[in-house]
Amino acid sequence: MKNPYRPIKAEVLDVIEETPTISTVRFKPEESITFATGQFVEITIPGVGEAPFTPSSKPSEKKVMEVTVMKVGKVTKKIHELKKGDVIGVRGPFGKGYPVDDFRDKEILVVGGGCGFAPLRSLMYELFHRSGQFKKLFFRGGCKTSKELVFKSEIDTWAERKDLDLKLTVDVGDSQWKGNTGVVTTILENIDMDCASGIAIICGPPIMMKFATKKALEMGFKEENIYLSMEKNMSCGIGKCGHCRLGTYYACKDGPVFTYDKIKNFSNIWD
Amino acid sequence: MIKFISHNNFIRLLAQLNKDYRVYVPVKREDKRFYGRFENTPTEDIVIGEVRAFEPLKAFFFKGREKVADGFKADMPSSGDKPFAIVGVKACDLKGFKVQDYVFSAKSGTTPDGTNNDDTDPFYLQMRDKNLIISSDCTCVIDTCFCLALGVKPYPQDDFDINLSQINGGFIVESSSEKGEKVIQQNLSLMEESTKGKLSERDKQRDKVVKQIEKNIQENDIPSQKVFEGIIEKNYDSGIWEEEAKTCVECGACNTICPTCHCFLLYDQKDAKKMARFRIWDSCMVKDFARVAGGANPRHKLWMRLRNRFEKKFDFFPKVANLYACTGCGRCISACPAKIDIRKVLKKLVDNKK
Repeated sequence: MKNPYRPIKAEVLDVIEETPTISTVRFKPEESITFATGQFVEITIPGVGEAPFTPSSKPSEKKVMEVTVMKVGKVTKKIHELKKGDVIGVRGPFGKGYPVDDFRDKEILVVGGGCGFAPLRSLMYELFHRSGQFKKLFFRGGCKTSKELVFKSEIDTWAERKDLDLKLTVDVGDSQWKGNTGVVTTILENIDMDCASGIAIICGPPIMMKFATKKALEMGFKEENIYLSMEKNMSCGIGKCGHCRLGTYYACKDGPVFTYDKIKNFSNIWD
Repeated sequence: MIKFISHNNFIRLLAQLNKDYRVYVPVKREDKRFYGRFENTPTEDIVIGEVRAFEPLKAFFFKGREKVADGFKADMPSSGDKPFAIVGVKACDLKGFKVQDYVFSAKSGTTPDGTNNDDTDPFYLQMRDKNLIISSDCTCVIDTCFCLALGVKPYPQDDFDINLSQINGGFIVESSSEKGEKVIQQNLSLMEESTKGKLSERDKQRDKVVKQIEKNIQENDIPSQKVFEGIIEKNYDSGIWEEEAKTCVECGACNTICPTCHCFLLYDQKDAKKMARFRIWDSCMVKDFARVAGGANPRHKLWMRLRNRFEKKFDFFPKVANLYACTGCGRCISACPAKIDIRKVLKKLVDNKK
């Protein structure tokens, strides 16, 4: 029988500092892991523990994977200290990702906040890869300050793409920032898309998700077309350990991506 | 298959089983019963009938602490020990199996919206597969027993390999699985035919215990599961939770003692040289249970965690698995240092909905 708790050994290839608190770890698992964008993996730091992350890399890249991690706890602190050649563990992928096939011929709005850019980068790679399949593509992203913006040089190349309408904002501006200032909902105004039939994908800190969802509903997106990536305390990954329950679901096996209609009646979904 | 076995031959049967299994029997210490290893000699303190043991049956199958990964090795860590034969298991603990089996098998992969996956916990399933369950009828009640309110009879009806019903001179022996049938076949020389008279003696004994529990339920005014539907939703914002949680000390005894509680923690050994992972019982009453690394905690207040405990048992499980995750064993009532009484909470929830 397959042991779902055993991590696969992986070698760290590179650690890229994105911001002072966010780094991307590039690693190569001994056995190749195929994931759908939006699914998550559990990363083990031997002798420390494991924590869930949604890969920020291309789903089509089979041999190497990347996670982009914010330093917030015990495991993430150790992840930031990793060096090339270190050994880590990886389990997964778990749960359900974005049903990209269902987005065919639709207009898509992707809204990202702060560390929510990580899973969204993987999604954007997939959307770009299949760009011709969608009617229109919008990206609206926000973070606290320009220093906290991840994937800077990459996002610069997104700005030049003809198949993407991109706008960024920071909560607090500074001398280097030329763009919009204000929370992410301030750049959701006047988007030239048919919201009633469109797809909205929202990923970011809970408070941002809450207000962006509210805004998306006001804009006319249907509840079943609003995709949310829910951050819960996923541990086992297979719906057994009980930690990430969300109403009648477990975020690890039934999510972490949920449409708003599925979870709107549960209490405290944003906490 | 139904047979009769005398007390003396029953001890011989246990000795026989001890060759292939590690046999555990309920042993009485003061007024409580604990599972103890059967050492081939009958002792006065072995009580096959009476009521459930102090510790929940789950402890044999879903251990308090179990190694589930050893380095990055692909093979599963295994003790290689002889399987258990657990004797004197009561019906309430067998209902606990219905919940544990649901969680750890692929059954829980199916969600209300019809999607599914087939992930299982191989450690639990292996234990369930290997071990032998020899259950027994309750022959008395204690004041915390309320199984009938949860639709559980004080005598096993399914989920056992062999069941024992204590009557004059010995036990009625009944098999309910191939494994159990085989054990009886292999030990036929120890058995006698079970007569109509013996069966009616068993039925009378069962009726007597049922009446005692009915009296318990009536005297303590315990509601039946027939009126549990919607009690959590309707009371979600009521003051009952805050009121009940006032005395809670967050010890988690109710979780560890509960035959249906299944939550666990994956804990890695703190040793950078060697990766070892343990699956350890966890408690949803503990503050950090649902907290995420970023600091958000959906149940930061103790009363929210108490509500969550009831929500899981009386709202989540009926919705996903069509059963209430309570067996009426009453262990949490005795274990709680704060005297939070599940029977009284249920009564309040039921009454408040009117």
